[in-house]
Amino acid sequence: MVEAATTSAAQPPVQRTIKDYRSEVKPTWCPGCGDFGVLSALQRAFAARNLAPKDIVVVSGIGCSGRLPEFVNAYGLHVVHGRALPTALGVKTANPELTVVAVGGDGDGFAIGGGHVPHAVRRNVDITYIVMDNQVYGLTKGQPSPTTPTGMAALKRSTSMPKMAPYEGVLEGQLNMLAMVLVYGATFVARTFSSQATEMADLIGQGLDHPGFSFVQAMSPCPTFYNTYDPWKEAFVALPEDWDITDRVAAISKTMTENVEGIFHSGVFYKTRLPTLMEKLEGVYAKAQGEKMATVDTLLDQFA
Amino acid sequence: MTVDLTIRIAGENGEGVLTVGDVLAEALARSGLHIYTFKNLPAEIKGGASMVQVRVGDAEVRSPGDALDILMAWNQENYDIHVGEVKPGGVVLYDPGECTVGENGDLRQIPVPLEQITKDVIKVMKSKNVLAFGVLTACLGVPFESGSQMVVESRWGRRKEFLESNINALKQAYEYVSGEGIDLGIRLPIEKRNGKPQLILTGNDALCMGALAAGCRYYAGYPITPASDVMETLAKSMPKVGGVILQTEDEIAAITSVIGASFTGAKAMTATAGPGLSLMVEALGLATMEEIPVVVVDVQRGGPSTGLPTKTEQSDLDLALYGRHGDAPRIVIAPTHTEDCFYTSVQAFNLAEKYQTAVIVLSDQHLSQRAQGIIRPDLSALTVIDRKQPAPDDNRSAHDYNRYEMTEDFISPMSLPGKHALNYVATGLEHDEHAHIDYSPDAHVRMTHKRARKLEAVVREPDMVTRFGDENPEMGLIGWGSSQGPILEAMERVRKKGRRVSALIFKLLSPLPEEEARAFIASTPIVSVVELNASGQFANYLQSRLCVSLRRFNKYTGLPFKAGEIEQYIEGVLNHG
Repeated sequence: MVEAATTSAAQPPVQRTIKDYRSEVKPTWCPGCGDFGVLSALQRAFAARNLAPKDIVVVSGIGCSGRLPEFVNAYGLHVVHGRALPTALGVKTANPELTVVAVGGDGDGFAIGGGHVPHAVRRNVDITYIVMDNQVYGLTKGQPSPTTPTGMAALKRSTSMPKMAPYEGVLEGQLNMLAMVLVYGATFVARTFSSQATEMADLIGQGLDHPGFSFVQAMSPCPTFYNTYDPWKEAFVALPEDWDITDRVAAISKTMTENVEGIFHSGVFYKTRLPTLMEKLEGVYAKAQGEKMATVDTLLDQFA
Repeated sequence: MTVDLTIRIAGENGEGVLTVGDVLAEALARSGLHIYTFKNLPAEIKGGASMVQVRVGDAEVRSPGDALDILMAWNQENYDIHVGEVKPGGVVLYDPGECTVGENGDLRQIPVPLEQITKDVIKVMKSKNVLAFGVLTACLGVPFESGSQMVVESRWGRRKEFLESNINALKQAYEYVSGEGIDLGIRLPIEKRNGKPQLILTGNDALCMGALAAGCRYYAGYPITPASDVMETLAKSMPKVGGVILQTEDEIAAITSVIGASFTGAKAMTATAGPGLSLMVEALGLATMEEIPVVVVDVQRGGPSTGLPTKTEQSDLDLALYGRHGDAPRIVIAPTHTEDCFYTSVQAFNLAEKYQTAVIVLSDQHLSQRAQGIIRPDLSALTVIDRKQPAPDDNRSAHDYNRYEMTEDFISPMSLPGKHALNYVATGLEHDEHAHIDYSPDAHVRMTHKRARKLEAVVREPDMVTRFGDENPEMGLIGWGSSQGPILEAMERVRKKGRRVSALIFKLLSPLPEEEARAFIASTPIVSVVELNASGQFANYLQSRLCVSLRRFNKYTGLPFKAGEIEQYIEGVLNHG
């Protein structure tokens, strides 16, 4: 509909490197923040695909991880809290040639923005959604998030959780976002850990390549307010080598049982190929337009 | 005007009375007459009293009509509700099987057994509508052949399987009227076509077509009365011109996806009503902050809260003007009549594109759902504006591109993903010219000025406020949006009686065309602001901006103004102060 992304024929082909995706803005994250790893993995995935910065839009909501677009040399759209997904929907459907990545945290995506996730998923809009999950609200200094373990506050590694849950710890149950998006019907679901840079770049890249909605849970510890580096390093294990990525029920089951065992599996949990929103819209256009596109003037005839 | 008739058809909601009114209005409009419809219905799908009113004239009709010339009541409840609004000497067509009527002043009450004729003679219950339609056209002096052509040209004509029974129903209607010797002495001049090609559409339809004509190719919305038909009309039309139309999970998703689409260069819109606009407020501030053009139509209904979903009010003005956190200037405009919905829609996109900001269009239930005949717009004569962009040969690097460059008019060329290698990151945080986050006092002052001052020129755009009537009036009326019609009709009636009255109608509400407002107020000893809300939202706004005290005339019944109500008010003020 809008002008398609263009590639300039005049320029010689360039092989971009990770440096080409670094913006002139230095990240504002705390030293040791897991988001550095995610940023670098995303830039590596872009470089591996040699995407032109002008053809990429990184969309984010609010939170520490919502600052990520600012640090990427590409188009970026930093919007209101919790609305990265519907914004990315508008970007992608208005110009399907663009590579669209939505990024954000666990609070942005599954608290305030939680109502958008099932709908982005069921549209199977061709975007990659990376949730940097640190199980805490970092930018507002340490309140519990929807993925904070129930009862948290008693644990010593939480330095400030007691602010919001000073008596009994976090009362609410912990959301299992992978199970949720699997049940919603996501066509690509993966988990990775910010300390495993190579694997993360690979999984994000697979998400970028996947036609349809790809979901990547990037476990990304917050050393300042909820330092989970050590336990997560121990808890992370790769999915079994013979893991069947086409078995949705097994994937759901895995996300529900691993928690009990205190394990985080990394890798692609599930992948399938279903028509994307844009592919379905092509069908709509074919039916609506028939031989050729209508003019607005002919549309007026329906009221004559 | 030699013909000026107000006809009301009232029955149980879901029985099809609205269709009778729609088809009658469309048929009369096709015949070159001027029509103005008015619907009042409950929020439920089936049940409850429902009515449609058609005012028809041989010159422009600007308001729904005052008292009724003809009432057709399908049952007792609707007879009881509406009979009091029939003019002295007026006609009531009632179904004797469904209601009992007593003597009623000098009303001419004529029994028409709609239900019984349908059951016993036509034997197809679906054709009861057509029978009612035929009774009305017969009473209005429309020859049977013309009535039959009207049925064929109507939505009834498209249902071929029912056409035979529908034409039979029409025939039964004419036979009944002539058989009973019913003659109201009316001969509608239906053969006098005015020559100009007409469209018959609702305000919502006109808004949709205006949007498409302006180049809108992205729409997202969430169902809400009375704005849903914008989405439904576009669902059919948008894909035909290659645009995207999506029903989102809520209004927040609608407006943010519109912002995303516009970020890529698409002209994008959403439509909603008050409850939805409330949810969009935060994202509207984002559009202002990131200087992204968006158009939001608010089809106002009665509020607050869920309020009166199917009734009309002009009570979202405060929300449209002030619904924001921080200093977030935006443009607010209101269409004044059905035809104007088309042009205002075009204008909304032009303003959004030119000024790179959010534009709210304040329509209302009454304007959005009534049908009117309009002159077919000449699309080749339309001015369509696209946003300022970097030149195609601009070979700066992204590093050297200033998205929010300070220009003379404070409007900066906007690069588009996929098109310009001038990528930047739009952010809702305060930023500098380069779009980099900047919380410094200097940056905030500079950018606050930029966002506000670029809109100062909007008041100089054409047709933003219009003055009508006498130059040196005894009394002046100020109105906005869809109240224009009844205000002007009332003004003309009073002027015909020799009094000097004028009116100032605002289409642009924000920024406020202050100069015109001041000049108007200075030109008349008495000024009153006429609007459909209880608190006098526009009057309060004018008072706070102009430091003046204004009279006000407010109606907040959920129903539109009648010209007669405003006429009485003007005369009351002129005669008694």
